[in-house]
Amino acid sequence: MPITTTRRRLLAGSVATLALPAFARAQGAAKPRLTAISQWSAGSDGAAITALGKKFEEKGGVWQHSPVPGFTTEMMNKLRAQIMAGDPPACSQLKGPEIAAWSKIAPTVDLDAVVAAAGYEKVVAPDLAKLHKPAGKWIALPLQIYSTNMLFLSKRALDKAKADKVPVTWAEFNDLAEKMKSGGVNHPVANGGTRPDDGQKFEAALGGISPAAYRAAIMNLDEKALKGPEIKAAFAQVRKIADWMDPNVGAQHFSTNLKRFIDGDMGMMIMGGWAQGVLRNAGFKFEDFVIAPGPSDNSKPVFLLNADAFIFWQRKEADLQAGQTLMAQLVMDPAIQTMYSQITGSIPVRTDVDLSGEGWSEGQRTTAKALKDAIASNQAVLSMAHNMAQENGMTAAMIDVITEYVKNKSIKPEQAATRLAEAVEGAR
Amino acid sequence: MRPGRPALPEWIRRLPEYLMIWVPLLLSAAHLISFSLWTIWISFTPSTLIPVTGWVGLRNYSAVLASRNWQIAFDNLLLFGGAFVVLSAATGLILAILLDQRIRGENVLRSIFLYPLAVSFVVTGTVWSWLLNPGLGIQKLVHDLGWTSFRFDWLIDRDMAIWTIVIAAIWQSSGFAMALFLAGLRSVDADIIKAAQIDGAGPVRIYRRIILPSLWPITITVAVIQLQFAISTFDLVRALTNGGPGIATQLPALVVYDLMFQRSLLGRGAAAAVLMLLILLAVLLPYAAWRYIQRRRAAHA
Repeated sequence: MPITTTRRRLLAGSVATLALPAFARAQGAAKPRLTAISQWSAGSDGAAITALGKKFEEKGGVWQHSPVPGFTTEMMNKLRAQIMAGDPPACSQLKGPEIAAWSKIAPTVDLDAVVAAAGYEKVVAPDLAKLHKPAGKWIALPLQIYSTNMLFLSKRALDKAKADKVPVTWAEFNDLAEKMKSGGVNHPVANGGTRPDDGQKFEAALGGISPAAYRAAIMNLDEKALKGPEIKAAFAQVRKIADWMDPNVGAQHFSTNLKRFIDGDMGMMIMGGWAQGVLRNAGFKFEDFVIAPGPSDNSKPVFLLNADAFIFWQRKEADLQAGQTLMAQLVMDPAIQTMYSQITGSIPVRTDVDLSGEGWSEGQRTTAKALKDAIASNQAVLSMAHNMAQENGMTAAMIDVITEYVKNKSIKPEQAATRLAEAVEGAR
Repeated sequence: MRPGRPALPEWIRRLPEYLMIWVPLLLSAAHLISFSLWTIWISFTPSTLIPVTGWVGLRNYSAVLASRNWQIAFDNLLLFGGAFVVLSAATGLILAILLDQRIRGENVLRSIFLYPLAVSFVVTGTVWSWLLNPGLGIQKLVHDLGWTSFRFDWLIDRDMAIWTIVIAAIWQSSGFAMALFLAGLRSVDADIIKAAQIDGAGPVRIYRRIILPSLWPITITVAVIQLQFAISTFDLVRALTNGGPGIATQLPALVVYDLMFQRSLLGRGAAAAVLMLLILLAVLLPYAAWRYIQRRRAAHA
């Protein structure tokens, strides 16, 4: 083993010596190169990042993307390994409070100048901007926004229920679910069996019941709010939802059941906007389903914010630094954000992008309007189930309680509320 | 050795053999010991995202032991470990005895029973997750055949879900137990059996009094191998139930992974891993002691 290493080093050394004159010449204008890791490898996510890479190459860059398929945590394990080896990627996917946590273990790039040059700060929602400059300086850039509590309605299930009105409050939602049930829809609420899926049901319930309580309990971990009546009410609503779900889904991903949703065997789906991209990618048409903001008891949209982002890690190589600048400029570019969101079904981070034109769906326009209205009425909050409100450890502790509650119908809402407060205390 | 060539010294001639055995052995021992020690050290530090120095005493251990996840995982391990070891050994023994009846096509059957072992646990878990899913698998099949009151929904029943893991694990590894038992059955002295037959003993009596008692050492080996496998089970559960429904089928290995990589709590994850090591030692040390006593006895006999 040691012999090969030495030989390889020797080889690399001699190649470097030979290439030195060329390297010196290239120093003046290093060809931008970007090493990036993300979890996006397939489907609409994979297609979108591939398209972004193409744009990067069109601008004269070298695009080196290494996708780590699976959940975000799997990607983070690779990131951790690379950071510990002293070889972080020039940029990697990372979002929410994890940006602040990870930025403490390795130096990040100060993006303030590039962001200022693009005038980006003015067009990003303030809560979102805060997450991407944890110590006051921009070190990460949000790429696209989803709401995790969009309500997808199956047209065929609506027909079975003889209903055409989209529910706005939880009471209306519950009514419609009952109607669907009696109209022959087997499972009025479509679901998967994963942990985030269960978490989303809870955050949609609590957010819809009281955004203020959501902010206090979930985002600020206020002890009084965690034991408040809204939490119990949210758990009670989750129990109703769980009774309408298909218990047979096991540990399946929500996308496994999309055909049943379209066919009207499942009625309504509480899911992030990404489901639109997945549905379209699976060959379903916009005529098959309706997208609306999730139920909100005060009738004003509640937006549970989930934003994918890139964090930029410090590198000494001139070509990587040039690549980081180019990548930052691309990510903030309205044309690129438009292209990206149109592929995935998200909405752009920039609030100044016009969604009225060709290529945008009704669902995306609804989502963008919901975000605008939610910000205006201070009802845009950060998603817990998708790691935007808290760091992973805290999120996981909360979801433990929620997922057990969803699957164990003998737990009472009061009991679940107590357990949630205890779990938060234990994870603090 | 070819004639006309000077004989090499013994140690040079045998050098390849030494290298073959000792280098890999030392390397793996070094890895095992150094990483175990490293994990033990991490379990006493406040490490979260990456390993850091520091000392928090037993805080990580008390946090893990107090968590609901670990308590469920430990109870599940007792149940799963016990049931799996006993049932897979029993299934393997029965298969071995049946195969031992000098039947036709024994080789083919043996391959079939051993084959699941060649399938990775992730595949086993995924396949069984479909088979056991009440909406897709066995229950639906029986319903479609007309018996609509039939129920087999253990996968989604949080009290029974752990048994689905037992079923899949038995399917996977009873062939392994069978192979070991079969070898044991074949090595029983044929003369003793003949003598018993001449004395008028029936097949049941021969199995009970002669063959099975001579299988004890193999039974212990099977149990120990299966037990340490049960303790480290990860991929099967991950693919079959992913710890669900809810957190009902957590197992220690899942908790370790979850703490280390899902929650980014390296210190706590390491503490859970060390607890797993202790459970493993609780199995292996008595086994080693038993082997030692056996050898002593054999030497004195």
